Amino acid sequence: MKHSTHTLMKYFALVAFVLLVTQSCQKDWLQPKPLSFFSPENTLIDEPGFNAALAAIARNVRDEWYGDGAPIISETIFSEVAVEGTTDKFGPAVNLNVLITPDANLNNVDFNRIGWYWERWYLIVRLANTVTTRIADIKTIPEATKNAILGKAYFYRAYAYYRLTHEFGDVPCTLKELTDAKLDFNSVKREVILQKMKTDLEFAFANVPWVANKGDVNRGAVGHLLTKINLALGLFDDAIASSTAVINNGTFKLMTSRFGADASNTKRNVIWDLHRPVNKFLSSNTEVLFSVIDRFGDPSATASGVNTMRQALPFSSNAAILTPDGKQGMTNTVVEIDHMKNYGRGIGRCRSTPYHTKYIWDDVKDLRHDTLSGNWMEMENLTYNNQAIKGSSPFYGQRLQLRKADGSLLVSNGDTIRNWYAWPHYKMYVEDQIRYPWQGGNSDWYAFRLAETYLLRAEAYWWKNDVAGATADVNTVRRRAGCDAYGAGVVDIGTILDERARELYYEEPRKTELTRVAYIFAKTGKSFNGKTYTANNFSTANFFYDRIMAKNDFYAKGVKNIRGDQYTISPYHVLWPVPRPAILANSLGVINQNIGYSGAEKNKPALDKIPD
Amino acid sequence: MSFSAVQLHAEKISLSKNSTNFERPPVDVTGTVSDVRNAPLAGATVTIKGTRISTVTDQNGKFSLRGVSDGAVLQISFSGYLTEEVQAAAGAMKVTLREQINQLTDVVVVGYGTQRKKDLTGAVVQVKATQLENENARSVQDMLRGNAPGLDVGFNASPKGGGDLRVRGRASLTASTTPLIVVDGVIYQGDLSDINPNDISTMDVLKDASSAAVFGARSANGVILISTKKGKSGKPVVTFNSNYTMNKLARWPGLLSPEEFLSWRSDVIYSMRGYDSTSKPGIKYWAWDPKKLPSGFTVDQWLALGNQVGQDPTTVWLNRLGGTVGMAPVEIESYKNNTPIDWEKLMLNKNGRQQDHTVSVSGRNETFNYYTSFGIFDNEGMAVGERFKTFRSRTNLEANITKYLTFGVNMQFASRDEGAVPVRLSDMIRSTPFGNLYQADGRLRSSTTDNIGNNTNPLIDVYYVKRSVKSNNLFGTVYAKGKLPWGFSYQVNYTPRFEWFHNYEHTSSKRPLLESRGGITSRRDDRTFQWQIDNLLMWNKKFGKHSIDATGLFNAEKFQSFSSTINAENYLPNDNLGWNAIQAARLVTLVTANDQYATGDAIMGRINYSYDDKYLLTVTGRRDGYSAFGQGNPRAFFPSAALGWVLSDEKFMKNTSDWLEYAKVRVSYGENGNREIGRYAALSQLSSNSYLYTNTAGSNVGVGTVQTINMSNPNLRWERNASLNFGADFSLKGGKISGAIDYYVRQTRDLLVNRALPNVTGFSSVVANLGAIDNSGIELNLNTENMNKANFVWRTSFSIWSNKNKIIKLYGKVPVTDATGKTTLVDQDDQANGWFINRNVNTIWDFKVVGVWKTSEAATAKSFGFNPGDFKLEDVNKDGKFTIDDKVFLGQTVPKVSFNLRNEFTIYKNWDVSFQLYGRFGQLTQLNEATHATLFGGVMFYDRSQFYKLPYWTPDNQIDDYARMMSAEGSGIKFNVWRSSSFVRVNNVSIAYTVPKSALSKIKAQGLKLYFNVQNAAVFSPWTYFDPENKFFTPSYGTFGVNLTL
Repeated sequence: MKHSTHTLMKYFALVAFVLLVTQSCQKDWLQPKPLSFFSPENTLIDEPGFNAALAAIARNVRDEWYGDGAPIISETIFSEVAVEGTTDKFGPAVNLNVLITPDANLNNVDFNRIGWYWERWYLIVRLANTVTTRIADIKTIPEATKNAILGKAYFYRAYAYYRLTHEFGDVPCTLKELTDAKLDFNSVKREVILQKMKTDLEFAFANVPWVANKGDVNRGAVGHLLTKINLALGLFDDAIASSTAVINNGTFKLMTSRFGADASNTKRNVIWDLHRPVNKFLSSNTEVLFSVIDRFGDPSATASGVNTMRQALPFSSNAAILTPDGKQGMTNTVVEIDHMKNYGRGIGRCRSTPYHTKYIWDDVKDLRHDTLSGNWMEMENLTYNNQAIKGSSPFYGQRLQLRKADGSLLVSNGDTIRNWYAWPHYKMYVEDQIRYPWQGGNSDWYAFRLAETYLLRAEAYWWKNDVAGATADVNTVRRRAGCDAYGAGVVDIGTILDERARELYYEEPRKTELTRVAYIFAKTGKSFNGKTYTANNFSTANFFYDRIMAKNDFYAKGVKNIRGDQYTISPYHVLWPVPRPAILANSLGVINQNIGYSGAEKNKPALDKIPD
Repeated sequence: MSFSAVQLHAEKISLSKNSTNFERPPVDVTGTVSDVRNAPLAGATVTIKGTRISTVTDQNGKFSLRGVSDGAVLQISFSGYLTEEVQAAAGAMKVTLREQINQLTDVVVVGYGTQRKKDLTGAVVQVKATQLENENARSVQDMLRGNAPGLDVGFNASPKGGGDLRVRGRASLTASTTPLIVVDGVIYQGDLSDINPNDISTMDVLKDASSAAVFGARSANGVILISTKKGKSGKPVVTFNSNYTMNKLARWPGLLSPEEFLSWRSDVIYSMRGYDSTSKPGIKYWAWDPKKLPSGFTVDQWLALGNQVGQDPTTVWLNRLGGTVGMAPVEIESYKNNTPIDWEKLMLNKNGRQQDHTVSVSGRNETFNYYTSFGIFDNEGMAVGERFKTFRSRTNLEANITKYLTFGVNMQFASRDEGAVPVRLSDMIRSTPFGNLYQADGRLRSSTTDNIGNNTNPLIDVYYVKRSVKSNNLFGTVYAKGKLPWGFSYQVNYTPRFEWFHNYEHTSSKRPLLESRGGITSRRDDRTFQWQIDNLLMWNKKFGKHSIDATGLFNAEKFQSFSSTINAENYLPNDNLGWNAIQAARLVTLVTANDQYATGDAIMGRINYSYDDKYLLTVTGRRDGYSAFGQGNPRAFFPSAALGWVLSDEKFMKNTSDWLEYAKVRVSYGENGNREIGRYAALSQLSSNSYLYTNTAGSNVGVGTVQTINMSNPNLRWERNASLNFGADFSLKGGKISGAIDYYVRQTRDLLVNRALPNVTGFSSVVANLGAIDNSGIELNLNTENMNKANFVWRTSFSIWSNKNKIIKLYGKVPVTDATGKTTLVDQDDQANGWFINRNVNTIWDFKVVGVWKTSEAATAKSFGFNPGDFKLEDVNKDGKFTIDDKVFLGQTVPKVSFNLRNEFTIYKNWDVSFQLYGRFGQLTQLNEATHATLFGGVMFYDRSQFYKLPYWTPDNQIDDYARMMSAEGSGIKFNVWRSSSFVRVNNVSIAYTVPKSALSKIKAQGLKLYFNVQNAAVFSPWTYFDPENKFFTPSYGTFGVNLTL
């Protein structure tokens, strides 16, 4: 027994010794071992790595047009074309004077997405900076490839700064990957940033190829963005040059004849074809300069799709809509007249104004406003679908009426803002593979189309007082839509903006473009409608505000919705508020607040130079 | 039975009265040792006083000693009982031992060893499971809640139970604040619900730095040491513990009845329209029941408000009540047929059943000590379909191979089933009392009000979703202990933990509205394996009055986990096989893996030195390494020291010895670390995903995407806590009053924070070491024996504590120029995170709600963007606008003072009664529900839902503490409504009856106890919305249980 104890003890001590030794000998014992994620050091070193970094930026650009309360709606309601139409809660951006403040919830799908834009653009800047900073040290990638990658990253960075400077004015600017906590940002003058973006885009224009995959950056997209920045800088000749290069290259052409999925459906037309989800990425579709990609079934698909039918269509399933014999006319359930599939369950969040649904349509042949082919929908094109009144009401299956014969309203709660307006069906209708009622499913979306390039060039001509040049470009776009050409002396900046509204609704960032135009007015001092503007009092008197008050009845007339909330807007809304948290967290510097918002009294003069 | 008890007592007294002094011949003594309930105590030690002669009682509590000199005194001692001294007498002696409440000789687990409470130098509190037997704790947290001063245990109303644990306040801003759990001496990283409370013998909470310092970098949040049961007696003991519980719904506001609903809804509709009664005469009556219109306002006038003259008034009315979407035909039909839906009955499991059965077998002999148990725990929750099931098993086995060598295994296996598909109680108010659950063909309706998107039929998931969520856990320790020469001993522990987890869910292709997706599956499998090795060398030596107990540790650990998920849908030809045949799904929407790896190591040394049992010293040092920290600082050293002085043993205290039995003062200082920040916090990571391009040929080209998700921080290091603890332990009047008082100051440095960055960087934050927080607090713990009569014993334990904390430093000083142009260095507040220098971490900085705007204040309200009925805020700087400059400090979210109180009674020896309550005071909790706004609290639109019975403002009832229905949540700002949630909870009331031994002989049982208790018996609080600790459906539990020992 004694002996065996000793043996055991020895064995025991040996085990202990081995354990101690093995543990202490592993030098890299505490080395972190990442298993399921990539790190910059092992990925951003070759062409596939950088291409993946660029694709990530493209993915981040996409979200502007997707989901419930899509950000594009915020751009659209700060303009002439639409207002916020929901009335079932407090908080949606109706009374902009009260609700749009630096301390408000600026990133909420029910309210507004101003804060989303601020964060998203700086995210894109960061991702682009990671590429531009890291690719410089990579020796193994051929120079031409490297320059193309660099050019694409410049494109995305310029895309973000173009939007930032027209949403928020003077903003902080970084052009390098940050490796340390930086708390000393200061705002940089808008034009200084834009000037740098112009230089970058000129590099990109020389190095990014004309032809690339759809969804990726090509030279056409670069030239298009460069045109916008040239305009913003007041460099109209440069703008004409850059847009002409895109238009004349030949890679891109307007789609003027029938194509794609519905090509054989004679009821439809080219405008319908152009906006069919499956036609957007056809190789035969030559109008696309830059688009964002969302396909049902692909792992990269968005969770909720474009959601256009929910956001931009009227709340036509509202129970308040009555038949002329006073019965509930509409239902959102599955019934034989399946509006919930054909049009979806709109909620009227992005409520088109009479400017967009009526005033701008000056040619009955305009295919973009054509109800016969089904491109455009008026409420009266819908029929009462509440199956519960089938048999008991003669109006079941008949067309909707806003008023009875005696003139009284057939919307019992009086909410015609949310429930009753027309819409461009050809653009908003997107098959929904995900849910019922339809809301607008997965589909690519146009970011830059050649039609807009024409309208940008038209603008440049107009600023240069070349009205003939401007008229020719506007007419190119109009003729494609089946309209007659404008004669001489019709086209001015107002007409061009109208044409943009007809062609680019829910595609263009309307507020950004209006602010850009307002900046050009302030810079050039050009007179319009008997008014001129200056940069000094930009936030108190500007074209942006005057244009909206002239065209958008809701803000102009101080309309109240059924909740009693009044539509208001002010000149200072030409620039959005910088979200307060951004300013608070920047303890060593001053990020300027825009004039008109609380906190602007702490501003310092913006920098004339982008800090290193 | 009370008879025999009295007899016994008399017998004992007679024993001591017989004491005489003259010599008699030695005698043989036999006897029985039992407790006050006459249950035999096996294993009690019987010693002849002043000699080394002793014996141990056998299974039946019997002992015998030969040749005891008559008149000698016998000392009978047993762990947990007061030692009795009786005079030896010939014949069968009967000795009754009383349970000890003076805990000085209790053995306390201190981490890598044990100590007598008497010898402690730190602040340690012990919870004895035996004390809580009658309360059938359902979880570890239940046992700790209200029983350990300084420890806050969160409330959890789920059938799984549980709750967050926090020792002595919040000391970190970002890192975890959960204390370290140690089971039977080894660090436990599993789920607390895997530990069967029936297996626990004691729990010790190490609160001060010095005691916790043996766990170094893991110990900043305190340590909870759980000791499981061991075999106690020679004969195998089999114990059955079974109990049945019924849930009852405790405080809740109640749901509006169908009639109340109709009048409430008309107020909602009116409020939504902005109360603009001037716009249209009579608009006020818009949604009123046309049968109840005021005189002078005709039904036709009322119909004309919506151009609906000539229509059926009831239909028009119900349509108007339907607000934005109108009441659906199915709702109108249900109203007209008077067939409302009883949601309470459909969704609330008001008599939920729970059961908990454990059987254990234990025993010990010279070679083996074993304890093994199997338990089944099956709980229904408050929601219909809510259920938690677990099977738990434990085996503790120790074998003495030789006198010098012991091997042992502690193994715990648990299998949890959390796959129940309950109705979502939050859906209750997302419906209306009217509507229909079923379609005409008898299938479930997608929405009972045909309003898809707003109201989903709460029963849909229960019918169409299949779920399997299981976790199988194996946690064990294999150890060997050896005695070495010269007082040394050595122990090695190998502690593996395996976890297999899966979460499968399938939504049937038959689920209404999702038919087109052809069945949707998510299938996740996780596997975790980690191990630790502890090498312990101990040295225990006494030289005269010097006593040294030294411990050295070498530890290494490794963590590895593997997780994979597949999401797929669109099954062909059908989804009848569900997740088992995921290959039949045509569309794979997600395939992902998340594998993790971490390593750590530690060296620790501790010396306990005492002189004459009077002067006590503990010194510890631990160096820890962890792979999550930047390569610059993977290791850190954590020292501590503590002193204790037993005052009562000093000569100068002699005068007080008649009342002051024991007094000790102690002081400790130490540093602890916190490493719970995530395994890869220091590294820059790229998140990878995919995107799609289309090439010029029109084909799709999938592309990978990578983007950085965080800023790297190679200099990341441990968060450090340094704390100072002053304490005193005392025992008065022969142990009738005992307790401890502690004061501590704890400073946390190098705080691990998610440091807010200007989002201009593209990042919102970076994990960094910054700043400092001070915590200080006082804790008083008092145990008293108020009465100890034969038929009535009353004991009380009371503790009260308070914790204050303060942020001392955040990001460092920066120059700030004030209005006068003077520049000073100021450490700035982090308003974005709500962190302020010199304020509590949990401080509330918000707009102050001062009431509700009255109708008469409409104009002022309007100027702020509000309407009458909205909450009125204070415009602090009187600039006519609400901006962040109007935010003020309102209070804190954590209690200022907490207390626990427990009373135990033993009546007529066989009846045990106890009640336990706890209170928390001084904290504020968000009651944003009081705004009745649409989005607060995740509620949907009130014009499409129903509601609880809560007050709300109307023009006719202009109250100040609740807003109107659908009020404004803010006007260009965000605010929260804060209310006091101080409370006192009667946490447990229990009564137990121990069946007398005499009655058990027939069934050959050793013990039988029946008990009944009520958990969460009552809550007293000014809080008005559900439970103050759990703002949702909260049960009370009534339990009946049986404990049988064979």
